[in-house]
Amino acid sequence: MELRINQKTYEVDADADTPLLWVIRDDLGLTGTKFGCGLAQCGACSVLVDGHVVRSCVTPVAGVIGREVTTIEAIEGDAVGKRVVAAWVERQVAQCGYCQSGQVMAATALLKHTPAPTDAQIEAAMINLCRCGTYNAIRTAVHDLAKQEGV
Amino acid sequence: MNNRRFARTAGWLALPCLVAAGLLAWYVTREPATPFAQEPAAATFEPALLSRGEYVARLSDCVACHSLPGKAPFAGGLEMATPLGAIHATNITPDKTTGIGAYSLADFDRAVRQGVAPGGRRLYPAMPYPSYVKLSDDDVRALYAFFMQGVQPANQPNIPSDIPWPLNMRWPIALWNGLFAPTATYAAKAEQDALWNRGAYIVQGPGHCGSCHTPRGLAFNEKALDESGAPYLAGALLDGWYAPSLRQDPNTGLGRWSEAQIVQFLKTGRNAHAVVYGSMTEAFNNSTQFMRDDDLAAIARYLKALPGDPQRDGTPWQYQAVTARQDVPGAHTYATRCASCHGLDGKGQPEWMPPLAGATSALAKESASAINITLNGSQRVVTAGVPDAYRMPAFREQLSDQQIAEVLSYVRGTWGNHGGAVDAKAVGKLRGQTDPASSSPIILQMR
Ligand code: FES
Ligand code: FES
Repeated sequence: MELRINQKTYEVDADADTPLLWVIRDDLGLTGTKFGCGLAQCGACSVLVDGHVVRSCVTPVAGVIGREVTTIEAIEGDAVGKRVVAAWVERQVAQCGYCQSGQVMAATALLKHTPAPTDAQIEAAMINLCRCGTYNAIRTAVHDLAKQEGV
Repeated sequence: MNNRRFARTAGWLALPCLVAAGLLAWYVTREPATPFAQEPAAATFEPALLSRGEYVARLSDCVACHSLPGKAPFAGGLEMATPLGAIHATNITPDKTTGIGAYSLADFDRAVRQGVAPGGRRLYPAMPYPSYVKLSDDDVRALYAFFMQGVQPANQPNIPSDIPWPLNMRWPIALWNGLFAPTATYAAKAEQDALWNRGAYIVQGPGHCGSCHTPRGLAFNEKALDESGAPYLAGALLDGWYAPSLRQDPNTGLGRWSEAQIVQFLKTGRNAHAVVYGSMTEAFNNSTQFMRDDDLAAIARYLKALPGDPQRDGTPWQYQAVTARQDVPGAHTYATRCASCHGLDGKGQPEWMPPLAGATSALAKESASAINITLNGSQRVVTAGVPDAYRMPAFREQLSDQQIAEVLSYVRGTWGNHGGAVDAKAVGKLRGQTDPASSSPIILQMR
């Protein structure tokens, strides 16, 4: 099957029900996207599909045929994604970093659709788990970004 | 004078009483007739007969109750909680002392089709002999061959039941049998075609679908054992799950399923409407996926011919899109915990992640299945030896009774679903009953 990932076309040999995450990491070697729980519970595996955040561990690969997938490797090619990464660096968000590619995806998806989110919208969208507890830093960085847009 | 008359009257009365008692004693311990009474014992069985027997064992899902995971197949042991106390499935391997190795074909037949063990002891109807009675003579003969020669003997003594005296006396079951257990094998209906008849045979007989899907009466009898009764396969609550209707009810049954979708569900465990879960996972893992395609087609034909009941089922479901932002309780939990798989639009990712829009569990007024799967998640669905990639996680440790009640009320009241709100007390009750850490979780009540 043919997949569009990070603006490139890949020919992939996988069963229709293979999780997108496995294809990204194991078949294509794009290991920036992480495996956390495999059960849609943590968000470490978040990627963008047509600009919406999805958890790739519970996305059968057949479901993204003909759609545009973006992973952390290409997120700085996106204007919003680039700003998110800059804010993450500015606020030194990452601890171990394992959850952060997913966090960046969630923040990017939020700001793409809601450039100046309210606190409640931020709370509702930034729900990925972080075992290092970087939640405060994440919230600060997203608030920075929300303000930048509002100005 | 008075005394003498009394003695004479008592004498006259005692006689019929004695006769009645004698008749009763005979009736409740008698070994019923079997067509195999005169059949000589075979030394070995043909391979074709053995493989047919193995297939009948698959159709009948013997392994589900008569085996424990990780233990010798068919050596028994599964605990079943009955209203009177726990009983355990027995060793049905051909071990001569602890299993059924000493059974003749006639003994085997009486046990499987009539629920009577050698010596006249009655089996508990947890063994679905009221369904297995429909098995043909040829299938019983093949099944016997398989259990005698196709199964490894395992020396594992049976576990006695917990039921106290006098409730543990078996003879009253004979009276129950007289009232509720049919005695005839399946007879083909001339007005129906061969496919329908084969489907009826499997569904009513070896498949014993009604054991879970037909509601039971006060005496734990299935309210109907074939299509002649309206309650047949009309859906029933048991073991903390709601086994849905298998009739043509658009909401709680198979009304929106095509024959091909029924076949696909039984063969692969999933289709555009649903994925197997709850007790059906065992039936799928051990039984339905091994059925031949023509048999699955027959089952689908038969089930499609069972009419629904609009009165019981309610207004047929229709999808309704949600447009406004939902600020109702449960909507946020849904968006964060459920939507990654089941979609904000409730449509799921068929056939891998089932839709909740239009799901039986969101349309049936019984909320047990919705609560149970949310608390405890789904078991592994193993198709053709390969475990599924996607499974419902357990939210027991993550969500409170109130949160589960709210999110399920949201699911059961959105996208056109009309199953009704879920009460936090019901969640709490099932949480306790299905707690894996408790000493007596619901395992199995009646099969
Ligand atoms: S790995 Fe996908 S949500 Fe945790
Ligand atoms: S930074 Fe370590 S898990 Fe989030």
